Amino acid sequence: MSTETGRVGEWSLFGHSLRRVVLYGILAGMGVFYLIPIETGIMTSIINPASYTGSFPYLPPLEPLVPGTGTFSLEPWQGAIDGLGQGLVNSVILVVPATIFSGLLGSMAAFGLTTISWRGQIGIYILFVAGIFIPYQAVLVPLTQFWYNVVPLQAVFEPLAVLPFVQEYHWKLVALIITHTAYGLPICTLLFRAHYKKLSDEMVEAAQLDGASVATIYRRIILPLSIRMFAVVFIYQFTQIWNDLLFALTIVQFGDAAVVTQDLVGIGVSQSGTNFPLRMAAALLAALPTLLVYIFFGDKFAKGVAA
Amino acid sequence: MAELTLDGVTKVFTEDDGNEIVAVDEVSVDIEDGEFLVLVGPSGCGKSTTLRMVAGLETVTRGEISLAGRRINDSPPAERDIAMVFQSYALYPHMTVAQNMSFGLEESTEMGDDEISEHVADTAAMMGIEDLVDRKPADLSGGQQQRVALGRAIVRDPEAFLMDEPLSNLDAKLRATMRTELQRLQEELGVTTIYVTHDQTEAMTMGDRIAILDDGVLQQVGTPLECYHTPNNLFVAGFIGDPSMNFFEMDVDGDLLVGDRFEYPLTSAQSEAVDEARRVTLGIRPEDIEIEADGSADSPSEFDVAVDVVEPRGDENTLHLTFDRGVDEPVTFTATVSGLRQLQAGDSVVATFPPEAIHLFDADTEAALHNRSLDVPEATEQIV
Repeated sequence: MSTETGRVGEWSLFGHSLRRVVLYGILAGMGVFYLIPIETGIMTSIINPASYTGSFPYLPPLEPLVPGTGTFSLEPWQGAIDGLGQGLVNSVILVVPATIFSGLLGSMAAFGLTTISWRGQIGIYILFVAGIFIPYQAVLVPLTQFWYNVVPLQAVFEPLAVLPFVQEYHWKLVALIITHTAYGLPICTLLFRAHYKKLSDEMVEAAQLDGASVATIYRRIILPLSIRMFAVVFIYQFTQIWNDLLFALTIVQFGDAAVVTQDLVGIGVSQSGTNFPLRMAAALLAALPTLLVYIFFGDKFAKGVAA
Repeated sequence: MAELTLDGVTKVFTEDDGNEIVAVDEVSVDIEDGEFLVLVGPSGCGKSTTLRMVAGLETVTRGEISLAGRRINDSPPAERDIAMVFQSYALYPHMTVAQNMSFGLEESTEMGDDEISEHVADTAAMMGIEDLVDRKPADLSGGQQQRVALGRAIVRDPEAFLMDEPLSNLDAKLRATMRTELQRLQEELGVTTIYVTHDQTEAMTMGDRIAILDDGVLQQVGTPLECYHTPNNLFVAGFIGDPSMNFFEMDVDGDLLVGDRFEYPLTSAQSEAVDEARRVTLGIRPEDIEIEADGSADSPSEFDVAVDVVEPRGDENTLHLTFDRGVDEPVTFTATVSGLRQLQAGDSVVATFPPEAIHLFDADTEAALHNRSLDVPEATEQIV
């Protein structure tokens, strides 16, 4: 069997047909086009801020070998880690539970609204869907009122602060976790419902006849068949909640509980000017977790979307 | 193992606009302990709905279902001790064959793990799938999945089996094999079984008795041969048997039936059965029609007809015969003759309708007025 891809009579270059050469040329060009901003960010983030002004941001800092490119320094990254450390920790405390809760509750809600049939479920489901369309801006003021004046979460939390690793300001993160879980629920339910509608009704009926309760059917049949969908939902929710600034500004406002997006806003900005290398390093550092999630779960994500 | 009784079971679906649809209408049938009952009918006749009511997957609008003398109308499916085999097999795709089979035992019994795996291994051996127990359903062929689905039902050792067209996704050869195997298994296990199918061949060959359902109404319950030879009505007569029974609409004129294309004399017993009916449908099975290649019609029950189409089946030929010669789309009826008979389209033949093979149905009520004479006892349950 021949493995040549070229067609008879076509031009070829080193055994590759001209079509291939052009194709790869275009792909490489597009790759460069898309990667240049990131490359620029990375290069900028390793330039000594003192030598930054006047250098080409996309060139590696090679002074004194190449003049005009700035000198190499890890100082911006050091500054970013120092400046964002607390925010990163807070973001992790917020994002991990909020992602898991919204995914798990969304899956349960979709199971109850799709696989189990009961009177009035369509009405309830429409309420869920309507939740997707409520604009964030409309709830900002009520949300502040709710967490600061209606629910005495802060007072409840005070005695818990004596526990190890628990700080009094963590109540704001708990409020944020609950808010993000609630807001993520409609879209998670929608995603899981689309998946559950494709599962065979007869399979669920077979489980019923096998003696399984509703809870057992969920735990032993539906949950194991949702793993790919969980990858999709977790990646989506992780990115959404990690990148959120609006709810954080509304609920955390300021102080020790500030999450990474809040810290990022102010870093490297001062009266004396903007420290671009520091801002670039901080931006890359803040984006790193979402990037890692995509790298590690991307293939599951692709499978889940296709499923 | 127990007897299963359906008494006046009715299912009414209410549509969103308030319309009521009667899917199953007053179905009553007693299924004896260990009996194999085939529920047969065209699609949409309510047979699957009936089965799902027995399983507990649909509520019962009216009537009573009892298993082993215990009313089960309101019991959830899990408490009915019934196992069901679905058309799609409905295996759990993320579990191995062994896990699929043990799931029901884990959920519905107090058995320990060792006991469960012992039961599963025994059943797998009985079904000939002991080499497949560690595979997932997606790695199995249709026939193997079918065996796993059956094994999953058998391992539970339920009071009754319900089977919803379990063979319809198999190819024809495998279906024939599984038909025999299912019968053998059911006989061995002696579990009361309801088997739903739209295929009258499965109904005829598999059931101890068959129940024929049309439009939600039970038409007849009887042994396959009772239903074949002494149908209660026109529907049963036409549904059971392949090729179907021939029907001719006739007017009654004393001892003579007068149709569009031929006249047929009645015996005294037959005309007594016809009684007051003015219009009847004359029925005769294709294999009861006698075909003479030469000669001419010289008795009132013999007719000169032409062969329109010959369908060879090997063992027999199906002839499409017609009274209308030289017409583009003639009205035909069928007769089956030995596969060795040499007959061709266009041939003129003499068809004899033997008087003892004639069925007569009331043209309005479609009830049977007279069935063919046989030496079998008429034990058919009358459905009013």
